[in-house]
Amino acid sequence: MTEFFINFPCFSIILALLASAVSTLLGKSAARRLTIIVCALIFCASLCTLYHVVCAGESVTYMMGHFPAPFGNEIRFGIFECIMAATFSLVMVLCVIGGAGSVIERIGGFRQNLYYIMADLALASLLALTYTNDIFTGYVFVEICTVAACGLLAARNSGKSISAAMRYMIFSLIGSGLLVLGIIFLYGITGHLLFPQLKESVASLWASGQYRIPLTAALCLLTIGPAIKSGLFPFHLWMPDTYSTALPGSAGILSGIISKGYIVFMMKLVFQVFGTEIFFESGISLIFLVFGICAMIFGSVGAIRAKSISRMNAYSSAAQIGYIYMGMGISAEIGMLAAALHIICHAVTKSAVFLSSGELIRVSGGKSDFFSLQGAGHRAKLAGVVFTVGAMSMVGIPLTMGFITKIYFARAGITADGMTLAVLLALAVSTVLNVVYFLKTMIRIYTPQKVGSQEHIVTGAPKGKMLAFSGLVLTVLNICLGLHCEPLVQLLRRGIEMI
Amino acid sequence: MPWKLVLGVCILLPVVMGFVMYACKNKIEPRINRWACVTVFIEAALVWWAVLCCPGDTYTLFSLTEGITLVLRFDGLGRFFAGLIATLWPLTTIYAFGYMAHQPRKGMFYAFFVMSFGVTAGVAMAGNLLTMYVFYELLTLSTLPLVMHEMDTKAVRAGRIYLVMCVGGAAFGFAAMVFFQTTGCSLEFILGGNLSEFTAGKHVTVFMFILGFFGFGVKTAVFPLYFWLISASVAPTPVTALLHAVAVVKAGAFGVIRLIYYVCGTQLLSGTWGQYVVLAAALVTMLFGSSMAVKETHFKRRVAYCTVSNLSYILMGAAMMSPVGMAAAIMHILCHAVSKILAFFCVGAVLETTHLQYIADMEGMGRKMPVTFATYTVAALSLTGIPPLCGFFSKWNLLTAMVEAGNAAGLIAAAVLIICAFLSAIYMLSVMVRAFFMPGKNTGAGIIEADKRMLVPMVIIAVGVILIGIFASDFMTLANNIATGLI
Amino acid sequence: MNTAFMLIMIFLPIVFGAVLPAFGKKHKLRNGFVTAVLAIELALAIYFAVCGGFSMKLWSFTDQISIGFANDGPARFFSLLFAAVWLPVGIYGFVYMKHEGWETRFYSFYMMVEGALIGMACSSNLVSMYIFFEVVTLTSLPMVLHSLKKEAINASLKYLFYSIAGAFMALLGILFLSRYCTTLDFAPGGTLDFAAMAGKEKLLLAIIFIGVMGFGVKAGMYPLHGWLPTAHPVAPSPASAVLSGIITKSGVIGIFRIIYYIVGAQFLRGTWVQYTWLILAMLTIVMGSAMAYREKVFKKRLAYSTVSQVSYVLLGIFMLTGAGVVGSLLHVVFHAAAKVGLFLVAGTVIFATGRTKVEELRGAFKEVPLLGWCFTFVALALIGIPPLSGFVSKWYLATAALSSGLGVICWIAPVVLLVSALLTAGYLLPITVRGFFPGADYAPEKRAPRLKDVHGGAVLGVMHVVFAALSVALGVFSGSLVTVFSNIANTLF
Repeated sequence: MTEFFINFPCFSIILALLASAVSTLLGKSAARRLTIIVCALIFCASLCTLYHVVCAGESVTYMMGHFPAPFGNEIRFGIFECIMAATFSLVMVLCVIGGAGSVIERIGGFRQNLYYIMADLALASLLALTYTNDIFTGYVFVEICTVAACGLLAARNSGKSISAAMRYMIFSLIGSGLLVLGIIFLYGITGHLLFPQLKESVASLWASGQYRIPLTAALCLLTIGPAIKSGLFPFHLWMPDTYSTALPGSAGILSGIISKGYIVFMMKLVFQVFGTEIFFESGISLIFLVFGICAMIFGSVGAIRAKSISRMNAYSSAAQIGYIYMGMGISAEIGMLAAALHIICHAVTKSAVFLSSGELIRVSGGKSDFFSLQGAGHRAKLAGVVFTVGAMSMVGIPLTMGFITKIYFARAGITADGMTLAVLLALAVSTVLNVVYFLKTMIRIYTPQKVGSQEHIVTGAPKGKMLAFSGLVLTVLNICLGLHCEPLVQLLRRGIEMI
Repeated sequence: MPWKLVLGVCILLPVVMGFVMYACKNKIEPRINRWACVTVFIEAALVWWAVLCCPGDTYTLFSLTEGITLVLRFDGLGRFFAGLIATLWPLTTIYAFGYMAHQPRKGMFYAFFVMSFGVTAGVAMAGNLLTMYVFYELLTLSTLPLVMHEMDTKAVRAGRIYLVMCVGGAAFGFAAMVFFQTTGCSLEFILGGNLSEFTAGKHVTVFMFILGFFGFGVKTAVFPLYFWLISASVAPTPVTALLHAVAVVKAGAFGVIRLIYYVCGTQLLSGTWGQYVVLAAALVTMLFGSSMAVKETHFKRRVAYCTVSNLSYILMGAAMMSPVGMAAAIMHILCHAVSKILAFFCVGAVLETTHLQYIADMEGMGRKMPVTFATYTVAALSLTGIPPLCGFFSKWNLLTAMVEAGNAAGLIAAAVLIICAFLSAIYMLSVMVRAFFMPGKNTGAGIIEADKRMLVPMVIIAVGVILIGIFASDFMTLANNIATGLI
Repeated sequence: MNTAFMLIMIFLPIVFGAVLPAFGKKHKLRNGFVTAVLAIELALAIYFAVCGGFSMKLWSFTDQISIGFANDGPARFFSLLFAAVWLPVGIYGFVYMKHEGWETRFYSFYMMVEGALIGMACSSNLVSMYIFFEVVTLTSLPMVLHSLKKEAINASLKYLFYSIAGAFMALLGILFLSRYCTTLDFAPGGTLDFAAMAGKEKLLLAIIFIGVMGFGVKAGMYPLHGWLPTAHPVAPSPASAVLSGIITKSGVIGIFRIIYYIVGAQFLRGTWVQYTWLILAMLTIVMGSAMAYREKVFKKRLAYSTVSQVSYVLLGIFMLTGAGVVGSLLHVVFHAAAKVGLFLVAGTVIFATGRTKVEELRGAFKEVPLLGWCFTFVALALIGIPPLSGFVSKWYLATAALSSGLGVICWIAPVVLLVSALLTAGYLLPITVRGFFPGADYAPEKRAPRLKDVHGGAVLGVMHVVFAALSVALGVFSGSLVTVFSNIANTLF
């Protein structure tokens, strides 16, 4: 019976693409509903596939339309891919639900359609990036993803958001360029595009010592490309402008999942094309580790210096991305596990933070500077709670998901030869910095306004219930995972062994 | 008896009640005192019941993830700490009724006040370092709204500092904790420690121990991480008294004792540079805190600096890494808790009744508020270490521990302790002299004795300070039994 | 029975002092009760002086820390001394304190100090003594700041801080001793556990040094004497009298007990510690006298004199010989009588005329001859003119020094005593001379009232006579005292 589930990944991608096509024809609220339904369906489908893979105990290679390569296209999914796909679709559906209000408020008429098309497209490309077993398909969807992300950013028709989208585009295209260069190198050396064949020839070439330099270069390009796209230090500078001008929903999608899509793709490249031995031998891992730590620190410092909550969130994303890269740089087993956990944690948490800050800003008269935000937690009670829990999770307070990932990062750090102290201290210092800006904001939103300052007139948000729903779901999910994370961790562990 | 349930209720009851009170704070504001009172007394009774009757078994609650399990276990030290807070919490609640009578936002205050009771009980009952760490963090968060109660610029700033230092400090403790766990040292609390050898290299392990010490030591305001305690004195006095003289800071001291004696063990650590660093930190804090207290002219902040200094007495005892040292540290936890809460109560009584803050304003107040300053005198004498009040005996024990050590470190520590005792005489007793014997500037008829609800707990605790001194041998036997694992 | 008496002797004044404010405005009744209690004290002290030795344990705080009392030689002697001085000074105070005000408070603490002092004298172990030592400090504090003037407050804080610092130094010593002694109970000859302290002698010596210096603060020993000339003069005269004459002796008791009853003279003899003490004591003697010589304020001059005189006592103790002990105990008595007598004179002068400076005393004795004669006798006793009391003790001290076998100190000590005696004469006798013979140009604006014209002047006069007589008589009939002290000293070696 569960055999049928192996078709779901392929269906999901196609479904998402179809939905984006159909959305062009629908009205704005119909498009929204379609997107929500499709995303929810895809989430269920991913869970079903996950169930199958877990039962089967091995990853599945699926040929689209049952044509072998090079005519057909292969996808491959194990536990890891399925969990990521489920995370992406879940966060996507919640961001779309939660962001609906702001979309209605800020985007005029027909452009709302466009927004949902882009969301569908983004999800399709994320799924494809996660499932693909073909490096070129991967590249294609990286580009689609970039376009979709730009669309999400530019949907709000203001000068600032368009220039931010342009900036994002430029950074992103640099990353894509490097990526495609890497693919060309690799193709030139090996003549393959499918992961298994690539891995075989890369391994034999590496063992023989031939083409060592081009191979290393390809590895560099293939890892640095996605790193730039996901905003690893020092390429995080596009983030603050982009996220602070984006709609809360878009920011949640961008920071929570799109940047993670590239990372997942890269993890797949590392595991399925190069193999972890080569990755760690080549020294790229060390670069990740170092830049990851730098990102953690500098991202947080940027967040502390930020003058508005949205820029703060953006810088914080840069810092959190640093955690993930640091984990990847430590080791193939526990380091990757920590990184994967943090992908989920950050997706769940940061989207909640962006959504709730959007609401907090709205009730503060649309101003996002900290002074205006004073007392916002009282004006929008639920958003305040969601933000508070999210902030705690980002800091790593126990009983939230952030604490679990912090434990795994620390455990990974201890296994890192020679870098133990650096990693542990970086974690601790970064936590201190996180406390400084996140919990400071938390205090700020609960501080009563100064007497005599301008009273903000709070109006009911359009689709306020939808926002509340997604905020609550994300928060509850966060706390549940914080209370009992063992099943997820074990699944991920098996998943990482599988890829 | 399903003790797991009872312990769980001990922790959850106040937390849940706190949430309930917070949620309906507008509705129950007029009856908030009753709510808080009932909850606190039931909780205190529950905790005492558990302290006296609960067997020392290990109760596993649930696991967060692999190897991260929340465990409750009541051992001697935990019982001691739980008994201490369960005694002082109800008294402080009564005091708070008097103190908070004219303050706004009572609903929020009592909600978090009750909540932190449960969390502190959790700290006491924790069966391993992880569980304790969890409650440790929650303690910071649940007390944060209390620190910021006034919600003015100063209070918010204090809250921010408090949060950053305590949570940030805990992050270092966290790193050490995960390190110990990963390098094969169980986090269970076992008297004597789990660390049987330096599996990860001596210096790294010692370094991690120091990291852990400072991480958990932030709450005990060890130099240079002390200033949260000073700035937190803007909180309402029941908070300063209970939380920043007893619950939070003692949880820190408790944590350090747990780390030294129950997790790492003194076997390996004593004699390493780690011990000396820890000891030096404690000594520097003692001297620093005392000197700053002498310099300080703000009454409450002076008492707060006194706390900084006294907390490091405990750390110093703990840093001797001997059963005698541990017993002395435990004894000082008790004696300092009762004496300091009393001192803060007096400061608060003056503050709330007359709004006078500075020591110069205290001149002549002893005749206006005789009961308040009589109890203050008891507290001051006890903190100075005048026999036969309880502070003398804890100092005696600490000094004995130093002498037992017999080495140069012990001698220096003893000398520093004596100097600090002298300084504490200067800063505590001079206020007493001013209050009773200087002709007052505030001759107005408006100044009256404090509210009875404040005076009653003060008198009870003052009697306690004297009685603990008189029956010191029983308490010292208790401390010794805890330190040698008999309880 | 003895137990009950002992507890009454110690705690009756303390409890009585605490409830004294209950008398309210009934001054006569209050004075009557105070007199009665003081008399009971004296009677009990006499009773204990003649009855046999006994010891008791009141309360054990812990196995090391307990409160216990015993009735050994020094206990009898000191408690009798305290009770004997307290009664007349108390009666003197009834009159004197009228112009100071706050009499109830004064007597409240006056009584408490007596209880604490007697408790200290009778303590049978070191910790118990330390506890009462602290109580003495705290209860005598309000006597210093009695006037509540700014200088009084500052002086009292100075007194408090010096005393507490000294107490904590002593505590450090006690603590180490508790580790290296078999017991902290007093035993003539010491209780050092030589097995336990093997190899730690140097450390222990240093710690004992610190501990003794701690008690030395109360005795005004250089370099920690600074509080004494500040605190004593600002107190009301009866308080200054007991502070100078008696309370400084509480430090002496502490030192005496530590050296002879805990550590033992044997361990200290010939060590650097002993020499340092001796040198410090001699330095204090000379320095105190010199400062007194320079001082212009009468009571301050007397206070500096105390600094010097108490160190005579310490000098005798530090010699670690039987003769030294006898000399110093003798000087305890004689100095107490003389110094109380002198301060009472100063008090009466202030009481009657309000004059405080030495030069203002010019002619005062001519106007009030009784005062002059009493002052002169007491001063002569203090200087050490034979056959008055001071001479006897100084004689013993000097001979003890000569026979102590301490090398060069054998010779220096008598010279120091002599120089100091000359200085004493220098700062006391001119007062007599100028007092009786103001010179031809003396024409006061206002004559001092005669004693009998002062309300209660008879009481004052009687008390002056009592102390003057004591100073004379104790010297003349010092034989029995010497026997008593020799018996005490003999047990120590």
